[in-house]
Amino acid sequence: MAIIYLDNAATTQVDERVLKKMLPFFTEKFANPATKWTSSISKEIDIYVEQARVDVASLIEADPDEIFFTSGGTESDNTALKGVALANREKGDEIISTKIEHEAIIKPLETLEKMGFIIKFVNVDKYGFVDPGEIKNLVSKKTILISIMHANNEIGTIEPIEEIGEIAKENKIYFHTDAVQTVGHISINVKQLNIDLLSLSAHKFYGPKGVGAIYIRKGTKINPFMEGGGQEGGIRSGTLNTTGIIGLGKAAKIAKKEMDFDGEKVKNIRNSLWKKIQEQIPGVFLNGAEMGKRLSGNLNFLVKGIRNEPLLVALNERGIIAGGGSACSAGSKEPSHVLKAIGINTEDFFSEIRMTVGKFNREEEIDIIVENLKDYVKKLRELSPS
Amino acid sequence: MYPEIIMKHFLNPKNAGKIENPTLLGEFETSSKAKAVFYFKIENGIIKELKFQISGCPYAIAVCSIITELATSKKVEEFKQFSKKNLEKFFEIPEEKEDCINLSVNAFLNGINKYRLP
Repeated sequence: MAIIYLDNAATTQVDERVLKKMLPFFTEKFANPATKWTSSISKEIDIYVEQARVDVASLIEADPDEIFFTSGGTESDNTALKGVALANREKGDEIISTKIEHEAIIKPLETLEKMGFIIKFVNVDKYGFVDPGEIKNLVSKKTILISIMHANNEIGTIEPIEEIGEIAKENKIYFHTDAVQTVGHISINVKQLNIDLLSLSAHKFYGPKGVGAIYIRKGTKINPFMEGGGQEGGIRSGTLNTTGIIGLGKAAKIAKKEMDFDGEKVKNIRNSLWKKIQEQIPGVFLNGAEMGKRLSGNLNFLVKGIRNEPLLVALNERGIIAGGGSACSAGSKEPSHVLKAIGINTEDFFSEIRMTVGKFNREEEIDIIVENLKDYVKKLRELSPS
Repeated sequence: MYPEIIMKHFLNPKNAGKIENPTLLGEFETSSKAKAVFYFKIENGIIKELKFQISGCPYAIAVCSIITELATSKKVEEFKQFSKKNLEKFFEIPEEKEDCINLSVNAFLNGINKYRLP
């Protein structure tokens, strides 16, 4: 059965060109680039790694020596938060963030809170937007870091990070953004946006899993998160994941050239999918921002009166892979913190469906998706007691 | 992902729907608003007809369907001691799905326990 993959915010298929670029580095070019001064093969691999650094830097308009390779978004987020907090404690102990961040931000913030840091959360409105004015009000002399995601992974809302960056700059506070959902999809200029630290992950834009990077603006005071052999300028120790890094570099290079074109295609499929869902299925409501202000591939909606897990499992049976913020649970499992933050009613917490389109989706898939969705929504509503 | 028997009953549930003028109802609702309702038609202590409606996960739906197959044409008395243990011969109960299974079992027991022989 052919798979229709609609969970591209969770991960994406590796682009064939990325895979091809990576393969030799598993076998004949397997050496450790750390020994580049004594081994010619290591030196050759080091050149590829450094080219990847240039390509990643170029994608976000940073300098190559501001890019540090990590194992992915989670590690980059941990590095940014814990690294900046611990290195700047004598300056202050307050951090500002939102209630709709990914767990890779929320959990490290909880740890920092236990260590005595004060975490101030800005609210979001019903579309998931942060109000920069509210951030301004929360800033104090003790604020050392503002961490606001570029776009929300669940509802796709793109935050006004340029204004937030401006506030951070005015107040001489470091600004970190978790941009794993946007890098490689929308153009980012870290200098223009006043970003000091940015997290990115290869597998969200057609690169391999297990590799990412953190951009750290020159002069940023930060402690390393992973300590050891001193790789990556001491910011991130550990033998370099050469295959992953080279894959990330290639994915970045492709994205720089093709993301506008791919973004248009993805947006058109998403828009037409949502139009048909609305026309053919009653009782569906969009979560998050209007189409122009959310990630181009993101659709997140409530299907009133049904729970998402049976719907997702049934769609999966027909080869359609979609997501839901928080799977249906009869008991104690926590509903999505994002839906809670945007004020969704309790009875709708488990009725969320997320469909995220990617560049490998095709127009022809739209009707199949809508037909199956319509069919199962009807069946599950008939089965429901109320 | 799910055991075969769960998928079979989930995709094609047996005895789904309502009974008009049932002898009694068995209901249960969880804190997260998952809800199951059993409709019992009972004559002389025998479950003549048993149907259900549910808003819950695939396990909960499948368990309702399995229970209706087990209990139809049987004596109410036979199910006074029913618990999710009785389902273990059909499939393994994963810890994270216990609440879903309890939803259906509790709704069924709620009905069973209401019944008094005329």
